[in-house]
Amino acid sequence: MIAFWLLAVILIASAVWTISANKPVYSVVALLLNFATLAVLYVTLSAEFLAVIQIIVYSGAILVLFVFVIALLGSGVAPFPTGPNRLPKIWLPAGVFTLAAFGFLIYAVSNVKMAAAAATGAVGSAGVFGSVADFGKALFTVDLLPFEVTALVLMVAVIGVITLGGEQMSDAEAQQSKVRADRAVREAILREGKG
Amino acid sequence: MTHQVLGVVGSYPLLVALWLLPLAGAVICWALGPQLRTLAGWLASGLVGASFILAVLCWHDGTQSAAGTVGANQPLFSWMTGFDFGLLLDPLSLLWTFIITGVGFLIVFYSIGYMRGDPAFARFFAYMSFFVFAMLTLVLSDNFVGLLVGWGLVGLASYFLIGFWFDRPAAVAAARKAFVINVVGDVGVMFAIFVIIANVHSSGFGDTFAAAGTLGPGVILTICIALFIGAAAKSAQVPLHTWLPDAMEGPTPVSALIHAATMVTAGVYLIARCAPLWNASHEAQLVVGTIGGLTALLGAILGTAQWDIKRILAYSTMSQIGYMIMGVGTGAYEAGIAQFFTHAFFKAQLFLGAGLVIHALSDEQDIRRMGGLWKKMPFAFWVMLTGVLSISGVPGFSGFFSKDEVIYGALQHGHPWLDGIGIVTAGITAYYMFRLLFVTFLGEYRGEAPVHVGGPGAWIMNVPVAILVVPSVAIGGALLFGGDASPWAHFFAPLFAAQAHLAAAQTPAPAISENFTSVIVVIVVAIGFIIAWQRYATAAARRDAVQRLRREAETMPAVLTNLFYFDAAIDAIFVRPAQAWGLFFGRVFDPRVIDGAVGEIVLIARGLGTLVRSFQTGLLRAYALILVFGAACFIAYYAVAGAAH
Amino acid sequence: MSVPIGDYVTLASVMFFIGVIGVIVRRNPLIMLMSVELMFNAANLLLIAYARLWLQNVGHIFAFIVITVAAAEAAIGLAIVVTTFRPEKYVDVDDIAALHG
Repeated sequence: MIAFWLLAVILIASAVWTISANKPVYSVVALLLNFATLAVLYVTLSAEFLAVIQIIVYSGAILVLFVFVIALLGSGVAPFPTGPNRLPKIWLPAGVFTLAAFGFLIYAVSNVKMAAAAATGAVGSAGVFGSVADFGKALFTVDLLPFEVTALVLMVAVIGVITLGGEQMSDAEAQQSKVRADRAVREAILREGKG
Repeated sequence: MTHQVLGVVGSYPLLVALWLLPLAGAVICWALGPQLRTLAGWLASGLVGASFILAVLCWHDGTQSAAGTVGANQPLFSWMTGFDFGLLLDPLSLLWTFIITGVGFLIVFYSIGYMRGDPAFARFFAYMSFFVFAMLTLVLSDNFVGLLVGWGLVGLASYFLIGFWFDRPAAVAAARKAFVINVVGDVGVMFAIFVIIANVHSSGFGDTFAAAGTLGPGVILTICIALFIGAAAKSAQVPLHTWLPDAMEGPTPVSALIHAATMVTAGVYLIARCAPLWNASHEAQLVVGTIGGLTALLGAILGTAQWDIKRILAYSTMSQIGYMIMGVGTGAYEAGIAQFFTHAFFKAQLFLGAGLVIHALSDEQDIRRMGGLWKKMPFAFWVMLTGVLSISGVPGFSGFFSKDEVIYGALQHGHPWLDGIGIVTAGITAYYMFRLLFVTFLGEYRGEAPVHVGGPGAWIMNVPVAILVVPSVAIGGALLFGGDASPWAHFFAPLFAAQAHLAAAQTPAPAISENFTSVIVVIVVAIGFIIAWQRYATAAARRDAVQRLRREAETMPAVLTNLFYFDAAIDAIFVRPAQAWGLFFGRVFDPRVIDGAVGEIVLIARGLGTLVRSFQTGLLRAYALILVFGAACFIAYYAVAGAAH
Repeated sequence: MSVPIGDYVTLASVMFFIGVIGVIVRRNPLIMLMSVELMFNAANLLLIAYARLWLQNVGHIFAFIVITVAAAEAAIGLAIVVTTFRPEKYVDVDDIAALHG
C-alpha cells in the first residue's frame, strides 16, 4: 500500500518532469526514471516477465534510440530555438475544455466502485499466474497468432525506417555532407574558443 | 390486333436493292472521293441509273393486286409491337420512284459536265446520291415513322446541297433558312404521327387508313392539318414558301433535282399517300385546296417581277406545286399527281436549260444582262422553248393535259373559285414564262461576260436535256389523253377509283364540260402570251430593250419587289420576338438569375471550405488538440447523459 | 490486490493526461514522442492492473503487443524526425563566415 503510493508519486513526478524539461536529454532521464518505477509497479502486480521486458525494451532499446537521435541532431547540447507559436488561437478555450473533461474523468473513475470482485488464486510462483512460464505458454499456444502479428509489425517498422532513413547519397553528396559536418565541428570549436 | 398492311407482303430483293444502291453510291463517293476524281460522277450516276432499271423491273411487283390491296410490301424489321418497318411499292410510290431515279439519273449525269472542275466534285455526287437515297426512303416507306426519317433526311440533303458552295455567305444563309423552315414542317409531321400513334396504336399506313373511318372528325382534322404543315414547308406553300427562291443559291442541277422535280413534291406525295385521311375530312381538303390555289396565284404573280433566271423558275415551281397541292387537296388525286409527273420533266428541262445558259455565261443569272442568245445557243433556245410551251399549257404539250386535269378537277369536286384561280394563274404563267424566254433569247446580247458554248464534254450536259425534251413534250398526251379511259386513270384506278366514284356521287356534275374549260384555259394562255409578246418581243421592244427593262425595274410596285412582305412578316412575327426572348435570357435572366444563383452556391461552398480549411493547419499539435478535443466531447456527452440518469 | 483498482485507474489516467498535455503543449518533436510513450505506458499499466484483478494473462499478452507497437512507433517516429531535421545538403563557402571581424 505504502509502496504503491510512493511509486505513484514518483511516476507522476517523473512524467511531469518529462514533459516540462527544457532539453530532451533531461526528458530522457526523467522517462528512464518513469519506466523503471513502472517496472517495479509491474512486479507488485505479479507481471514479472513484463517488468523485465519493460526494463530491457523500453529503457534498454527505445530510450537509447532517443539518446542516439538527440546526439545526432545536436539538440541535446542546446534547446531548439523556438519560433512563433503557430497553434490557432482557439487552442486556449479548447485546452481548458479538454482539461476540464479529463479532470472530470479522473474524478469519476477514482470514485467508481468496481463491481467485479477480485479473483483469488495462487500468484507469483512458477507455473501460475504472472510467471514467465505461464506467460510463455500462453504466447506460444493460445495467443500464437498475435505473437506472429507482432513479428510482422516489427518487420514493417524496420522496412519503414530503412525507406525513410536509408536514402542513397551519391559520392559527391556524401563528400559534401562530410565536409559540412567537419565545418560544423570546427565552427563549434571556434565559437567556444571565442566565448 | 391484326395488322393491316398495304401491298402484297413478300420478298422483293430488287426493291431493296434499288433502295440501297444510291446509298452505296453516296458512301463510296464520300469515302473515296479524292481517289475517284471524275469517276465519282460516273459512279454516282451509274448507280442511280441502275436503280432506275431495277425500278422498271419492279413494275409488275408494284402493280400487282391481290386481296383488295395493290403493290408490293417488303417487311424489313420490327421495332416494337405495332411498329413494323417495310418498303411499300404501289403505283403511287412506283411513279415517284421512276421520277426520282429516272429524272435523277439524267440530272446527276448532267452534273458531271456542269460540275466539271469544281474542287469538291466528289462531295457533290456523294450529296446527290444521298439525296436520292433519302427521297427513296421517303416514298418507299410503308409507315409514317419511316416516312418521317426520309422526310428529315431529304431536308438534310437539301441543306447540304443548297449550301454546297459554303464559301458564299448567301448560300449558307439560304441553306440555313431552308433547313429551319423544313424543320417547322418536320415538327408538323411529327406531331401528326404522335396523334396517329396515340389513336391508332400503330404507325403503319395500312393500320392508319383502315382506322380512318373510326377516328373522330376532330382527330382526323388535327392529323391532316399537322401533316399539311409538313407538306407546306416541304413543298413551299404559302406562307412557308420563302426558302425556295433563296435555295437557288445551290448549283443548278440541285435546283433541277431537288427544288423542282422531286423533294418539293414530297408534300404532294404525302397528301396523295394519305388520301384516305383527307377523304374523311372535308374541312382539311378545303384548307389544303385553298392554300394550294393561293400559292399557285402568288407564285405566278411573283414570277412576273423577278430578274434572276433561276428565281423566275423557282417561283414558277412554287406556282406549279400550288397546282399540284390544289389537285390532291380537292380530291383530284390523279390530276395532282399528273401535274407532278409532267412538271418533273419540263421543270427539270427548264432548269437544265437555264443551267446551260448560266454555265455558258460564267455564272451570270440576271436576264437583263442576257438577250439574243438564240443565235449563239440555238440548242438551249429550243430546249427552253419546248419547256416554256409545255409549262404554259399550250395544247398538245404535256403541261396542257395535266394542268387541264387539275383545273377541271377543282370544278368537278365542287370548288369553282379554285377553278377560277387556276385559269387566271395559267394566263400569268404563260406571261412570265414567255417573258423569260423573250428577254433571255431575243434581241441583242446585253451582257459583258463572254459566251462559251460547246467545248469538250458539252455532250454530257446536252444529252440529258435532249432526252428530257421527249417526255416533257409528249408524255402528257400519251398517258393523259382520254380522261377516265386514259392509261393514267387505269394505272391509278386501284388506289383512287373508289374515292372518285364516291365524290362524283356526292357532288353534282359541273354545269360546264371539261372541253369547255380547256378552251377557256387556252384563251387565257393566249392572252398571257400576247401581252408578253407585246412587251418584250415586238421589233420596237427588242430595239430599246435596255431602257425598257430598266424602266420596268424602276416602276415595279414595291409590293412585288418586296415579295408580298412575307419575309418581313415572318421576321416580325417569329424572328424578332424569338430574338427578343433570346436577348432577355442572354442579357438579363442568365447573368442575373442563373449566374446569380450559381454565384450564391459558390459563395456558400467557399464559406464552408474556408471554415473546414481553418482546421487543416498542417500543424501536428493542432491535429492532436482536435483529436483530444473530440475525445473530451465524448466524455462530456456521457457525463451529461449519466447525470441525466 | 491490496490496493483498490480505482487507484490504479486514477494513476493511469493522470499519466495518460500528462502525456496528452505533453503532445499538445511541447513543440520539440522528441519530447512529443516521449509523451506518446508515456501514454502507451499508462495504457499498459491499466492492462496489467486489470489482468491482476481478474487473474487473466490475456492482459499481459496485450501489454506485450503494446510494447512491440510502441517500439515500432518510436523507431519510425524517430526516423521521420531524423529525416526531417537532417542537416541540409548544400554547401556554400559564403556560409563559412565565422572568422569575420
